[in-house]
Amino acid sequence: MRILIAEDDDGTAGFVEQGLGELGHAASRVADGVDALHAGTTETFDVIILDRMLPGMDGVEVLRRWRAAGIRTPVLLLTALGGIADRVAGLEAGADDYLVKPFAFAELAARIGALHRRPPISEVPTSFEVGDVTLDLLTRHVHRGGREIRLQPREFSILEQLMRNAGRVVTRTMFLESVWGFHFDPQTNIVESHLSRMRTKLNEGFDHDPIETLRGIGYRMRACA
Amino acid sequence: MAILVLGAAVYFAANAEFRRQRDAGIAGESVELARTFTTEGRTELLEAIATREAGGSAHPYGYALFDARGRRVAGGLDTTRPSAGWSDIVFHDPEEGPDPARASATSLPGGEMLVVAVDSEPLEQIDRTILTLFAAAFAVVLLLGVIGALLLGGYLRRRLARIGDTAQAIVGGDLARRMPIGSRNDEFDALAASLNAMLDRIQQLLDNLRQVSSDVAHDLRTPLARLRGSLEEALAAPADRLPLKQALRQSDELLSLFAAILRISEIEGGALERSFTALDVAELARDIGESYLPAIADGGRTLAIDIAEGAMVRGDRELIAQAIINLLDNAQAHTPAGTAITLAATPDGTDVRLSVADDGLGVPETDRARIARRFVRLESSRTTPGNGLGLNLAAAIATAHGGTLDFADNAPGLRVTITLPGMPS
Repeated sequence: MRILIAEDDDGTAGFVEQGLGELGHAASRVADGVDALHAGTTETFDVIILDRMLPGMDGVEVLRRWRAAGIRTPVLLLTALGGIADRVAGLEAGADDYLVKPFAFAELAARIGALHRRPPISEVPTSFEVGDVTLDLLTRHVHRGGREIRLQPREFSILEQLMRNAGRVVTRTMFLESVWGFHFDPQTNIVESHLSRMRTKLNEGFDHDPIETLRGIGYRMRACA
Repeated sequence: MAILVLGAAVYFAANAEFRRQRDAGIAGESVELARTFTTEGRTELLEAIATREAGGSAHPYGYALFDARGRRVAGGLDTTRPSAGWSDIVFHDPEEGPDPARASATSLPGGEMLVVAVDSEPLEQIDRTILTLFAAAFAVVLLLGVIGALLLGGYLRRRLARIGDTAQAIVGGDLARRMPIGSRNDEFDALAASLNAMLDRIQQLLDNLRQVSSDVAHDLRTPLARLRGSLEEALAAPADRLPLKQALRQSDELLSLFAAILRISEIEGGALERSFTALDVAELARDIGESYLPAIADGGRTLAIDIAEGAMVRGDRELIAQAIINLLDNAQAHTPAGTAITLAATPDGTDVRLSVADDGLGVPETDRARIARRFVRLESSRTTPGNGLGLNLAAAIATAHGGTLDFADNAPGLRVTITLPGMPS
C-alpha cells in the first residue's frame, strides 16, 4: 500500500514510517502543510495519514482543499487535541477517521487497514461471507455451515465489523466507535463481554473458532483453514 | 457660554427698544413743534421752544431752529445744521463740551429747519450698566463654575484614587483587598460593589486553579513515579520484558488521566452547547444498560434496568452516555461481587432523573460531598483502578446540561442521581 505521512514531528513520523515499512507498505513523508497539499494532489496514495497541526498550512485546510479538488483518498487525521469540537471539525472537513496522539502503532495500523478496503459508496455490500459464516445486513440473519445463529443486535454489529474487515484487526476502540458510537474508553470492557458471548454462540457445535484474539490489540476474523 | 449668549441677546434687545422709544420721543416732539409752527406761527414756535428749554429736566430734548442759510436762529442746541431726517450729531454742551446726540431735522415751510435732539449719553449709560451687570454676572458664574469644577474634580479624584489604590494593592499581590464602599450608595459605590463581585469571582477561580494545580502536581506525580520505577527495573534486567509491559500500561493510564482532565476542562469551558440536540435519554440509558448487562454479569454483579418511556432532554449524546457509563463503572469498581445495581431513568416533573443505585457498602454521609471533587479517592478505594475523575466528569457533564449530580443513601448502598432539565415534547 502507498501511504503518505504528513507529520511535522520527526519522532512520530519516523515511528509510523518504520512500523508501516515493517508491515510491507511504502510510506512517503512530508513535514509541511504546503508539501502535503502538493504531494497529495500530484501523487496517488492508497491512504493518507495527516497531522492536524502542520506548519505552513493547517491539516484541516489541506484536507478541505484535497476534497474540494476531488481527491477522495481515505484520510486518517492525527491530532494532539482530543476535544469533541476538534473531532467534529476534522470529520466535517472530510476526514475518514480520526486518531488522537499519542496512539499505539497497532491501533494506527488497524485503522489504516480498515480505511484502505473501505468500498466506494456505490458498492456497499448487503451481505458478507467469511469461510462458513454468512451475515445478511438486510434480513439481519447470520448462518454458519447452513445453521442459523441467533445474535443480539450488538453482537450482530460486532460480527458485522469483524466480517467487513475480514483478515484485518479490529481494535477495541474501533468497535466502541462503530458499534456504540462512543469516542471514549469506558473502564468496563463492554466490547469483550459482548464479543465473548457472540463468539460462544457462533462456535457452538463447531470445533473451529474463526475469531482470533490479539491480546492488547483487538480481534481478527479469518476464513477457516 | 449660555450666560454670554443670554447677555448679548438681552443687551441688543434692550438697546433696540431704548433706541426705538427715544426715536419715538424725538419724532413726537418734532411733529408737535412743526404743528405749532404751521397752525400758530413762527412766534408761537419760538415761544414753545423757549418754554420747553426753560422746563429743565422734564424736557430732556435740545432744540434748534436754523434759517435757510444754516445759521441757528433759536434754541439752545449748539450744533451745525444737519440734513433733513434722522442723524447722529455732535453738539456743544456748555458744561461737558462736544457731546454725541440723536437728532431729527424737520424742514419747515419758509426754508427754516427745526432740529430736535436728545443727548445719547443716558442711553449709553444704560448700555454700559447692562454690559457691566452681565460682565459681573458672567464673572461670578465663571468663578463659581471653576470652583465647583475644582471641588468636584478633587472629589472624583479622591474617590477614584481609593479604587486605584486598591487595584494597585491587588496587582501588588494583596488579593484579599476589596474596593471601599461608602455609605452614600451612589454610582461609585455601585461600581465598587461590581468590582468587588468580580474580584470575588476571580478569587474563586484562582482558588480552583490552585487546587487543580496542586492536585495535578500530586496526582500526576504518583503515576509518573511508578512509570519511572518500572523503566528503571526494565533497564536493570534487560531480559525481563514484564517491567516494560508494565511501563507501557502505566503510560497508557497517564494518558487516559490527561484525556479525562482535558475532557473535563473542555466541558467546563462550556463551548459544547452548540452541539446539543434533542435527545431521548430513556432510549440512551436503556441502550447503555443493555450494553453493560453482559459485562456486569461477568463481574459477578447484577444489573436491573428500570426505564420510563420517552424522556427528552437537550444535550450531547456522547457526553450523557459517558456520564451514565462513569456511574456504572463506579458502581462496579467500588462494590463487592454479588451487588445488585439498578439503572433507572424516570421523569420528575419537567426534569429527567437518571440514577445508578447499588446495594453495596455505600459512602458515609460526610464523604458524599467530597467524592465528586477532582482526584478525590476515598481510603476504601485507593487500591481499585481509576483516576478519581469519573464522578467529577459526570458532575461537569450534568452542570454543562443545566443539571445536577447528587448522592443519596440507597439504604444500603449508594444512589447517584443526575437530574437534567427535560425538553417539552
